[in-house]
Amino acid sequence: MSPALIAALPFLGAALPALLIRTGRNNAALAAGVTTGLALLGLLLHLPAVLAGQVITAQFDWLPWLGLNANFMIDGLGMLFATLILGIGLLIILYARFYLSNQDPVGQFYTYLLLFQGAMVGIVLSDNILLLLIFWELTSLSSFLLIGYWKHLPEGRQGARMALTVTGLGGLSMIAGMLILGNIAGSYDISQILQAKAAIQASPLYLPALLLILGGAFTKSAQFPFHFWLPHAMAAPTPVSAYLHSATMVKAGLFLMARLWPVLSGTPEWFYIVATTGLITMLIAAKIAIFKDDMKALLAFSTVSHLGLITFLLGLGTKAGAIAAVFHIINHASFKAALFMSAGIVDHEAHTRDLKRLGGLRKLMPVTFVIATIATLSMAGIPLFNGFLSKEMMLEEASHTGWMGNPWLVPVLATVAALFSATYSFRFLAHGFFGPVRDDYPHKPHDPPVGMWLSPAFLTVLVLLIGVMPMTFAGPYVQMAASAVTGEALHLHPIKLWHGITPALMMSGMAVLGGLAILAGFKPLKAMWEATPRPEAKAIFDAIIAVFAALAEWFTAALHNGSMARYLTGFTIASVAAGFWAFAGGAFGPETREMLPVSPVAIAGWVMLVTASASVVAYHHNRILALVLISIVGLIVSICFIYLSAPDLALTQISVEVVTAVLMILALNFLPKHTQRGVGPMKHLFHIAVAGVTGLATGLLIYALMMRDFAFESMSAYHLANSHNLGGGDNVVNVILVDFRGYDTYGEVTVLGIAALVIFALTEALMSGTASKKLIAWRPDVARAGDKHPIMLLVGTRVMMPIALLVGVFIFLRGHNLPGGGFIAGLVVSIALVMQYMASGFAWTQARQKVYYHVLIGIGVLAAGITGIGAWFNGMPFLTSDFGYVKLFGLEPFEMATAAGFDLGVFLGVVGSVLLALGGLSRMARRAAVGDEPAQAHIIAEKPAARSGQAEGAHAFPPETNLPRRWAAARGYTSARQDDEKIKLPKVPKPKMPSVKKTKKKPTKGEGK
Amino acid sequence: MEALVASAVGVMTAAGIYLILRLRTFPVVLGMSMLSYAVNIFLFATGRLAVNLPPILDHAGAATAGYTDPIPQALVLTAIVISFGMTAVVVMLALGAFIEAGDDLIDLDETEEAGQ
Amino acid sequence: MMSHLMIAPVVIPAFLAPLIVLWMRFDLRTQRVFSVAGMVVLVGLALALASSASVNPPEVYKLGNWEAPFGIVLVLDRLSALMLVLTAVLGLVVVLYAIGSGWDKRGWHFHSLMQFQMMGLNGAFLTGDAFNLFVFFEVLLIASYGLMIHSGGQKRLKAGVQYVVYNLAGSTLFLFALGTIYSVTGTVSMADLAQKVAMMPADDTALLRVAAVLLMLVFAVKAALVPFQFWLPATYTNAPGPVAALFAIMTKVGVYAIIRIYTMVFPIGGTTGTLAQDVLMPAALVSLVIGMVGVLGARDLGRTVAYAVIGSVGTMMLAFSQFTQAATGAGLYYMVHSTLAAAALFLIVDLVKERRGAAGLAITPAPKTLTHGLLAALFFVGAIAMAGMPPLSGFLGKLMILDALRGEWTIWAVILVTSLIAIVGFGRAGSTVFWKAYATEGDPPEGPRDASAPGLAFVAAGALIAGLVALTVFAGPATGWLRVTADQLHHPQAYIGAVMDGAYERAAEAQAEGAALMGHGETEATGHEAPAAAH
Repeated sequence: MSPALIAALPFLGAALPALLIRTGRNNAALAAGVTTGLALLGLLLHLPAVLAGQVITAQFDWLPWLGLNANFMIDGLGMLFATLILGIGLLIILYARFYLSNQDPVGQFYTYLLLFQGAMVGIVLSDNILLLLIFWELTSLSSFLLIGYWKHLPEGRQGARMALTVTGLGGLSMIAGMLILGNIAGSYDISQILQAKAAIQASPLYLPALLLILGGAFTKSAQFPFHFWLPHAMAAPTPVSAYLHSATMVKAGLFLMARLWPVLSGTPEWFYIVATTGLITMLIAAKIAIFKDDMKALLAFSTVSHLGLITFLLGLGTKAGAIAAVFHIINHASFKAALFMSAGIVDHEAHTRDLKRLGGLRKLMPVTFVIATIATLSMAGIPLFNGFLSKEMMLEEASHTGWMGNPWLVPVLATVAALFSATYSFRFLAHGFFGPVRDDYPHKPHDPPVGMWLSPAFLTVLVLLIGVMPMTFAGPYVQMAASAVTGEALHLHPIKLWHGITPALMMSGMAVLGGLAILAGFKPLKAMWEATPRPEAKAIFDAIIAVFAALAEWFTAALHNGSMARYLTGFTIASVAAGFWAFAGGAFGPETREMLPVSPVAIAGWVMLVTASASVVAYHHNRILALVLISIVGLIVSICFIYLSAPDLALTQISVEVVTAVLMILALNFLPKHTQRGVGPMKHLFHIAVAGVTGLATGLLIYALMMRDFAFESMSAYHLANSHNLGGGDNVVNVILVDFRGYDTYGEVTVLGIAALVIFALTEALMSGTASKKLIAWRPDVARAGDKHPIMLLVGTRVMMPIALLVGVFIFLRGHNLPGGGFIAGLVVSIALVMQYMASGFAWTQARQKVYYHVLIGIGVLAAGITGIGAWFNGMPFLTSDFGYVKLFGLEPFEMATAAGFDLGVFLGVVGSVLLALGGLSRMARRAAVGDEPAQAHIIAEKPAARSGQAEGAHAFPPETNLPRRWAAARGYTSARQDDEKIKLPKVPKPKMPSVKKTKKKPTKGEGK
Repeated sequence: MEALVASAVGVMTAAGIYLILRLRTFPVVLGMSMLSYAVNIFLFATGRLAVNLPPILDHAGAATAGYTDPIPQALVLTAIVISFGMTAVVVMLALGAFIEAGDDLIDLDETEEAGQ
Repeated sequence: MMSHLMIAPVVIPAFLAPLIVLWMRFDLRTQRVFSVAGMVVLVGLALALASSASVNPPEVYKLGNWEAPFGIVLVLDRLSALMLVLTAVLGLVVVLYAIGSGWDKRGWHFHSLMQFQMMGLNGAFLTGDAFNLFVFFEVLLIASYGLMIHSGGQKRLKAGVQYVVYNLAGSTLFLFALGTIYSVTGTVSMADLAQKVAMMPADDTALLRVAAVLLMLVFAVKAALVPFQFWLPATYTNAPGPVAALFAIMTKVGVYAIIRIYTMVFPIGGTTGTLAQDVLMPAALVSLVIGMVGVLGARDLGRTVAYAVIGSVGTMMLAFSQFTQAATGAGLYYMVHSTLAAAALFLIVDLVKERRGAAGLAITPAPKTLTHGLLAALFFVGAIAMAGMPPLSGFLGKLMILDALRGEWTIWAVILVTSLIAIVGFGRAGSTVFWKAYATEGDPPEGPRDASAPGLAFVAAGALIAGLVALTVFAGPATGWLRVTADQLHHPQAYIGAVMDGAYERAAEAQAEGAALMGHGETEATGHEAPAAAH
């Protein structure tokens, strides 16, 4: 089976348990088991070849640009680890079937387990370090899910997050390390990298790369000082602990060190970093383990200690060290997994894992006792059990390892560590199983069903077999793996139980005896241990995370505090600063133009403009006054346009001015008429300063621009030359707008159309829902004139109307040759209409209006578009215009360009949007004033369903504006208030908008219990 | 002349910036229209200034008299139209926000989590 | 004769939208049908254009048959084609989601505004004219205003005001920048600009640099680069879910414009020196930090995602600010990824919000919701993608960016550390919202009542995830294509040539014809020499 497929199988199978769980837990377990079994089978088929020293590979290009290839290989090391992962995985699947209760989501469990398994197999089989990285992070993610499997337990959630954070940290540092390594070696393929030892160790980046990669390895394998996460990961169900945290995932770091051993090891840096870390971890963890009362915690720290042991061996950088490391990996996996499972059995049966509350299980659960004993003795390093052999090798290596020239340090520390590990092993046994039978177990323990103890039993058999006949049962494997690690085919001289009286033997003898001694005097020691204060890793970690989280929250909230003034100040300052910076960075040419002569008119205008602007600022608290003043500014601006030979601009500006003023006045009708002073004096000064500087900068910029001619002529010369001949118009500006740059105008029309739609939708949202109630509650805050529609105004506007329309048409038509055009015409007409509304009231006008805004807008945008695609029909590109001369009866022949279609679009767009905005405003006004006119007169008028009374409630759209009410309103003109009370109430609480209830809820920080 | 225009642009920009830094929506809207005056003149002036040379071709010997640069005028026209649409929207929006919220403060209370 | 296909992505929605308003404004079903149909057509169009762009050199479409720089041209190259595809796909998914979740029922004109939004986006990606870019920015902005405040509500309207005002300021700045550019170079057509800027005498670059930097800031506002990111969090969290998802492409408009303008018009080592790099690099770094810190510091799920968007923009701008081919390619890949990822997350977050009842999006324990497991799974995947964890495309993109930034150790450090912060942030948020629910008593809040087809909503969100998976699996071909795109960007001569080669000559011919037709050639002579002389 292809290595790739072996790695892929668990992923492919992962979906099965989640689906099959509906058919029963057995099927879920079976599916997982079969998947794993298949993968294992496929793997073992390669065993002979690999034992013979071959490497099975499979290669796919995935991301060749990056050098990330999906290359897989099975060499000795990969084979060893893959066998462990899949083999133990199989046992765990069996065990978990009986361990998990009916309440647990078993399907999820197996799915996560298979995901994790796939990731692990991927790590050990991948032949590309980037690919390895991906699987590496996947193990972090899947273990996150597994540790947090019991989501209702805070320990589970916190343990999961801690594991994710620490291993994630390691993973990131490893990313950097791997990228560097790959860059040095010139390839990310491991088989390539392993060839590049010289280059790598010579490179100045060797040390950084080493540190970063070890960062990944140490965090994953829980090496000091990153060891603290592992015990907390024990919140996971026992099968997970047994699988991830003893047999497989925590060994990924070791695997990585072994994998890169040929290129990274052998340097003093390697020795002093890796070996030392290993030694310290071995020692510290063993010591802590002694005093743990929770069986799983004890085992967890012992695991850390043994991982330290293996790290130490790899750190030595010697072949013998590598062999011992590989051998101990096998042994540790076997006895530690068995121990975890027995601990799980005890927990499962006695409902506690607390050594203080246990004891005497020897009699109650004999089978478990036997299993646990064998495994424990192996862990303690007692002869005839496999643990003994690899520990002997370790001590042997330690016995002749000097540290900084000191020959004693390492051997002594190693012995002490061994002593500690003997101690906790004995304690595990003594306090758990020996002693008198008690009667205060939370639950009367007895041996579990066969299915549950089968897996550990199988492992203990291995422990024994390897312990007695190492060469037969482990030898070939060790040789195969060790050769792969060291990168050269070494044949190991037989591992024997008895080498005679060696220093190693004496050391382990001391260890065992010392262990027994300490256990004898355990109580006082325990008391002393309890007395001595220790740093509680989890507390520290949580504190650090909490601090960071709080900082982040504070910083984010403080930065984005919702103050618009701050946001805009930042905006302005950044722009001005960047502008000055850019200016300073370039060469500034001399002025090339002389100033135009200044006329008194101009000066007068200037004075008025500046005064007006200044007074807008000064009096902006009085809003109505400010509105008047700003209109004056607009007025002068348009005069300035006339003076500077831009008649079109002037016309446009002035008409925009009028309409905008009207809109704002109508809006101001609702808004407060005065602005309270808000900001404090300092901030106020600051704002003034910002404004001043910005104004100065802008003024300087435009001055500098106006006083220069740059290297290039403006392109406008062409437009001037051709607007008559090619554009068919003499008003160059207008020709540019509708022809040369007609596409801009097309966009412009659209903008107007959209604006109208937005305004309409907004008004609708306000008229329905909660806002409408507020509107009704609203009362005018200034006294109103007694006469609603003054007669003078009324008559005046009626007379004005046709004239205004005529003017509009005239301006529209002359636009192409003389100042004018669709936009201005549109504004003029809308002004005329606005006056109607103001004089006669909305409803009066509405009733006499035959065209509806939506139609205006729609047609407007379409007209522009159709003008555009018209060109397609004579094979020209979009917007290509044509023009000819039209002769209407009684008129001078005047020229019509198809481009006029645009102007029409603009015209309609303008009228539509102005009137919609206005309509919205006056509807609000009437809703507020509770007039005797129907609430949504013009929508009713627009609504076909409402005119012919059929189809009640058919496609009510949107739900807020349900048809029957509209219709009723359209028929019998009920007053707005009544129909509000009738209709609004039932539908105020909307399902998706419970904001009212929840807004005040403050989120809690961090995790609560 | 240029100096006058430039200083006027500067003054209007300053006024606009000052107004958009206020705490209420209404002055901010005023400030926005102030700024749009400023930017319109700015854009217009980038075609350099000219008096009595409107870009309207007259075929009676117009070749002698030049015309002012029409492009900026066209651009400004587009800009005016667009900013008109924008102003209409922002006015209505500000009004809507006022009716919904009961005040016309422009700042958000970010300590509450997102509504609706 | 050039094909009219190129203008279709603008014209089709521009016609569909008003038709929806005119004919269908009272029947939701018709609207939905046409809206979806329109989106499907757009996807097809975008794909067709992309396939043609990937074999042909940049294509030009002269609007009104006027030569650049005198008229406006559309230019289709690989980058714009890519953006078109991205936009269309996103648009389709969002519309489907809006229909499924019933969002489109909650206010008027959702579908027509969506169409207008598409028109604006496509127009911005296609245009080859700087001022026209402004116009289409406004089109897409005003459409986005409408979508942002869709269905009203107090917080949404207030946030809407801020969004509009901030972008009005941006538009004003845009006009200042364009004015400066026109006044210095006398043109606004990008290709023509590129030529003129290149010919700018070295002793007169100060004002040109000002123009360049102001323009950069305008695009930074759109891309939400620090210090212009302020508008984003409140906007994205208060916008309706599908709209927030659509906005994932809005920041990319700014990114697109930056890539386009600063590889072609103001290239590094051109007359404006390394200006673009000097501005972008620090801004991108700070954005990355602020964004990812925000992920950890955000108080609700929506903001978590919003800040992640800021961070991702920072990441990709770090790549683009290198202005090297490899980095640009990596950045493009990451851009596609982060657009899909952000959109997916916003949809997922909206699904959660709709089902979480009173708790809303607050990162606080609340009872389990309906379909809790599915939501949790979706969020998990989305978060993995957004945080750039394996196996999804985010990780690949990050790897490529790191690989392209080799030697910039500080940037490496920042990218990696911020990723960790993001991981922690998502981990905390996710476990609080989804896992603590198992420990929280209370009966589940009922699901959304007005959802038309909840299944469809989930499918839409899932589709984006599927897109991410596809982007991961086919990373090889994808990056291959993007590399060529990056290559095209860093050799803009093809683009410029496609627009400008012989443009002045053809314009002159047209002028001659016109003169002959109208029979008075005397005035024209003065006019035409000038631009030609400029050459």
